[in-house]
This record gives sequence, C-alpha cells and structure tokens, in this order.
Amino acid sequence: MTGFMNWAHREVRIGWAFASPGLILLAIVMGFPLLYACLLSVSSYTLLKPAILPIVGTDNFATMMASERFWGATWLTVKYSVVTVACQFVIGLGIALMLNRVVRTKPIYFAILTIPMAMSPVSVALIWRMLLQPNLGIVNHLMETLGLPRLDWLGSASLALWTMAGIDIWQQMSFVVLILAAGLASLPREPYEAAEVDGARGWQQFWFITLPMLRPVAAIAVIIQLINEFRTYDLPYVLTKGGPGTSTEVLSFFAYRQAFLGLSINEGAAAAFVLLVIVLAMTVVFFALLERQSKS
Amino acid sequence: MRAGQNEENIMTLKQILFAAVGAGALMAAAPAYADDIVLRALMEDVPETQIIEAMLPDFEKETGIKVEFEKIGYGDMHDKLVSQLVSPQSYYNLLEVDFLWAGEFPAAGWLADLKPFIAKSNYDLTPFIPSTLDLLGRTEESLQILPMYNYSMGLIYRKDLLADPKLQEAFKKASGRDLAVPTTLAEYVEISKFMKANADVAGAAMQGQRGDPNSMEFSNYLFASGGAYLADGKKVVLDSPEGKVALDLYVDNIKNGAQQGALSANLDDTLRLMCSGKAFSMVTYWWMLPQVDNAEKCPDVAGKVALTTMPGGHGESGGWGWGIPKNVSPEEQEAAWKFIQWVQSKDVSVARALQGHAPVRADVYTDAKVLAKYPYYKEAQDIVATGKSFPIFAYSAQYEDVLGTHLSQAGGGEATPEDALKGAAKGLEELLAK
Repeated sequence: MTGFMNWAHREVRIGWAFASPGLILLAIVMGFPLLYACLLSVSSYTLLKPAILPIVGTDNFATMMASERFWGATWLTVKYSVVTVACQFVIGLGIALMLNRVVRTKPIYFAILTIPMAMSPVSVALIWRMLLQPNLGIVNHLMETLGLPRLDWLGSASLALWTMAGIDIWQQMSFVVLILAAGLASLPREPYEAAEVDGARGWQQFWFITLPMLRPVAAIAVIIQLINEFRTYDLPYVLTKGGPGTSTEVLSFFAYRQAFLGLSINEGAAAAFVLLVIVLAMTVVFFALLERQSKS
Repeated sequence: MRAGQNEENIMTLKQILFAAVGAGALMAAAPAYADDIVLRALMEDVPETQIIEAMLPDFEKETGIKVEFEKIGYGDMHDKLVSQLVSPQSYYNLLEVDFLWAGEFPAAGWLADLKPFIAKSNYDLTPFIPSTLDLLGRTEESLQILPMYNYSMGLIYRKDLLADPKLQEAFKKASGRDLAVPTTLAEYVEISKFMKANADVAGAAMQGQRGDPNSMEFSNYLFASGGAYLADGKKVVLDSPEGKVALDLYVDNIKNGAQQGALSANLDDTLRLMCSGKAFSMVTYWWMLPQVDNAEKCPDVAGKVALTTMPGGHGESGGWGWGIPKNVSPEEQEAAWKFIQWVQSKDVSVARALQGHAPVRADVYTDAKVLAKYPYYKEAQDIVATGKSFPIFAYSAQYEDVLGTHLSQAGGGEATPEDALKGAAKGLEELLAK
C-alpha cells in the first residue's frame, strides 16, 4: 500500500513537472495581462496620470454602467453577434451539406472557401470599403446598371450595422463551413441506411439524424464564432469608426474609445473586463447545456 | 588534474560572461554619434509629408543623420504615438504633433521643452506667424511644439459650374439672384443644394465621418455663422442661436447638398470625389487646391477650381508642429532639433512652398518666387489670418469624438439639431471640468 502511495505520488510529481513549463508560460502570457487589466479596472490609472494608486474599487464600473452609451454598445454587440453567427451557421450548414455530396472537386471548393478566412480583417474591411463606396464603388455601379437604387451602405445609420454584419459573414462563414463539413464527413452511414429502409425522406433524415448527430460539432462552431463576434473591433474601426452616430459602436470599440480617446485606461480596462465576463459566462452556459444534452 | 581543468574551464566561462556583460554595458552607456542616429517620425500621409520626404536626402547629405518617415492615416496616429510616449523609450524620436494634441501631450509631460534648444542654437522665432505658435500651446515658460505647417480651411469650388450659362439662368430663376461665389454660409448651402439638383454633381463633397472629419468640417460652419465653442477661453457658448444656425445648415447640406455616403466619408473620400469631377465644392484644407488643380492627378477638374475663404469670413484653423519626446536619449533629442531647425529654415520652407507647402513663416508667404508660382497664396494668407481654432485642452481628441457623434446623429436623423447641439455643449463642459 505504501509502495503504491509512493508510486502514485511520484506519478503526480512527474505529471506536474511535465505540465509546469506550459502552465508557467500560460501564467506569464495570459494570467499576468489578465491580472494587470483587472488591477487597472479598479485603479485611477489614466494616460495623463499614469499611477495605479489610489485604488477606486468599483467606481470605474459604476461610471460605465451609468453611461447610456455603454448599454447601447452592449445591446448592439449582442444583436450583431447573434445575427452574424446565426447567418454564418445557416448559410454555412447549407454549403457544408452541398459540399458533402461533392466527391471529386471538393479540394478546389475548400481552397476557394479558405481565401476570405486567410485574409486579415483589416484588409477585408479596406477592400469592402472601396467596393461599397457610394459614389465611386463598383457595387452601387452594378446596382445602378441593373436598375436598382444606389444604397448608402456605410453612411446610413439604419444600414451600416447590417452592411458590417454582411462583410463579417462573408469572411467568417468559411470557418463554419469547414468545421461543419468535417463533422458531416465523420457521421456514420448506418443510421441513414436504416432510415432509407424505413422510408424516411431526405428532410426527415436531415432533421432526425444529421442535425442531432452534428450537434456537438455545430455547438463548437457556434461558440467559437460567438466569442469572435463579441470581440469584433477591426471592422468598425476601419469601416465606420463606430458611426454614423453610434450605430456601429460595439463593446470592444467602446472600450478602445474610453482608453485611447478618453485617455482613461482604467475605464477602458473596466469595459474590456465586462466584455470578458460576458464571453466567459456565455462559454460556460453553452458548455453546460452541451454536457446536459449529451448526458440525456 | 581533471578538477583543475574544470576550474579553469569555469573561470574561462566566467570571464567570457563578464566580458560580454561588460561590453554590453559599455555599448549601452556609450554616447551615440550623430552618424549612427536614425530619426524616426510617424507622419500623416498627406502632400506636406511627401514634400518633406523628397527633401530628406539633402538633410542626410548635410548632417549625416538619416530620417525615416512612417506614413499612416490621421485616424491611426494618436493611438500609435500615445503607446510609444507612455513606454520607457519611444521608438519615434521625432514627433509630428497635431494642434488637437497640443493640450494633451504637454499636460501628460511627454514632450521635451524646446526653449533650451532654441537658446543654445540662437534659433530665431520672429519669422513665425504668432498665431501658429499660440495654436500649438506656446506659453511664457515653455515651447514644446514648433509649427510645421498650417491647415486652415477654406472653400474650394468649381469655377466652370458657376460660370455655366444654363446653371446661371436656372439659379436666377429659382432664387432671383446671380450665381456667384457665396459670401455667407446660407448662400453656400443654397448653391450646394442647387448644384446637386441641377448640375448632376454633389453640391458639396462632405467629410461627415464621426470624429475628426466631421468635427473639423462643422467647425467651419460654426465660425462662418458667427458662433464659437468657448467665450473667454472658458465658458461654453456652443449652444447659441449662431450654433443652431450653423448646425441646421450643416445638417441641411449633409441631407440635401452632399454626396451619397457623406456620413461615412473622410478627407480621402472627398478628395477623390472632387477629383473625379462629381462635386461642385468642398470645405477643406487650403493646400488641397494644388492637389485638385493638378492635371496629372485630377484631369477632370484641373484648371476649373478656385479657392476662397469660408463663406461668412471665418474658417477652422489648425496646424501641425514638431516635437521631441522626453523618453529618448539626449543625442537623439539633439539630432531631432537639428532636423527641426533645418526643415523650418527660410530656404527649406521656400523650397517646400514651391511644392505646395502651407507655410507658418510670414516671410514665405511674401516670397517673390512663391507668389510667382502660386498667386493664390495671397488668399491662403487671408484664410490663415481669419481662421479660428477648435478648443485646445487635454481632452481635445476625445471632444472631437463626442462632438462628432452628436453631429453624426443629427446628420443621420437620429437626433434633432437642438438635442445634438445641447449634447455637444454639455459634453464640452464635462470634459473641460474633467
């Protein structure tokens, strides 16, 4: 028994020894910035008075919560993230299902699909800004040629957010397609064969076999994309600078504004922390749901 | 014997380590020679920067100091500079500082005082136009930013459209007045709307993007209608009848005179539009005229454009200056000052002006060679002389965002001009009290 205990302890010690370089690296590159951001969010640190002390507790959070603009940015971020991820998922699933039937030219499709994903969001935003330029851009020119009205894609308060969402969907959807296509390819054939014998139609097979079996993969794709969308910053920065008015001011842009234009690094850190908490909470809830479903 | 060898090896290793550390320390402590110094500046990508960049080999030949410009758009400059200025050592050892940061940078203690450099080198400040020095925060005690060029704003318009007989007739019929260069803001907006409706062009190429673009643009409307941001430098008077007139006309022009997409347009967009011949006018920096009037770059409008002061008599006046960061070595500071003296000297300023530079020295505006090449420098001098300034304080950059948001909301119909003006005035009061 003592021998077993010694062996088990030695196993644990060796385990820790192997894991410790990675853990130390994680603590340095992730833990330290996180702690520092946390400290900044409760401090009085501004760019004009760069000193952590005095610690002001939750004052920065209270200031932010009292701001209508913060709530506006939060609501906008939720709306934007839900719509973009839902569209990416629905369109992405459609494309993945179509690709699932393709055999010979699949690599070509995948190669094409990865192009937008491989581009940096800033380049994507700059390209689309040129294409959507209302007076000299090609999109409005084509629309006019087709007899359609010219649209003020990024200059209209009611359209700018959805234009931005469209560009985001265009770029990010390939990721969802790739994940879902991989998930579809790994599904077993037997349930489909049994369903065919039972006379199930195509949509019934999709609804009762494909979707339930694809759920874990789909959930991963959705959660990764939701996290991505909540952190969106590059697109509003390049496309609209948060405008017109505040119509595209998402939470990460709000945090940037507080930190660098307002010179209040402390308030910016507080906003960034709120964003982090929302994303973390979402992740936890999502995984809990997933766990419960897989158990049931 | 083996132990002895090990000891010897260890001694050798120790000696190597000490020697390496010592050499490193010596290299770090040794003064850098001018030849080794590379001046690095973050510059706005505008014609003025390109003019100076083309002359940099002359400076290098004269002094042996290399200068590198990193050119980016205005919108990205502030953040990039701030992150360097708060660090222990700035990558940029020569600074291009906008007048909007002339409250913030000195308040944060990021800039070296230039007075000791000026005294040491007997640098003569008298040729500088006094308002350009004041704009950049000169005080009795210190001078942290030396003027580089001004960016006062005026009106660039299409002469050919004003002279078009058909348009003249139509305008006379519609308004009962002759179609001519506008003298008031209301007249300007009226002509802008008329051009949009009748000349198949946008009446005004407007830079309505939230932030710096629309704040600068609106400031012209405000000053042109007799309004102001502050009275006596302290009291906020933006929410005044004049301010209301200015904002009403601004919104009217955005909605009925400007190009489609004006609310997301910045300076580059307006320049492209004007250049393509699809706009009648633009309220912009006066030194944009040589860009638009350039047959190579803008063949559609070259020879058809002219410059005048902002209708109403006053426009927005701003300027860039040179600064030296505190968080660089004394040798780098010396090299940076050498460059500043050179680039702002009379000879170099005249050479720059002959390429389209917007001078800050009075002696350049009256230089015979400059006037012979660019007769409109006379109008430019009027524009500079009549210009008024955006409020300069530690939070000017943030105020641009606050004001810009309200203007953008009013322009997009999300807020009434009354509410937008009240919000903008309140925002200014809050930031002044911060």
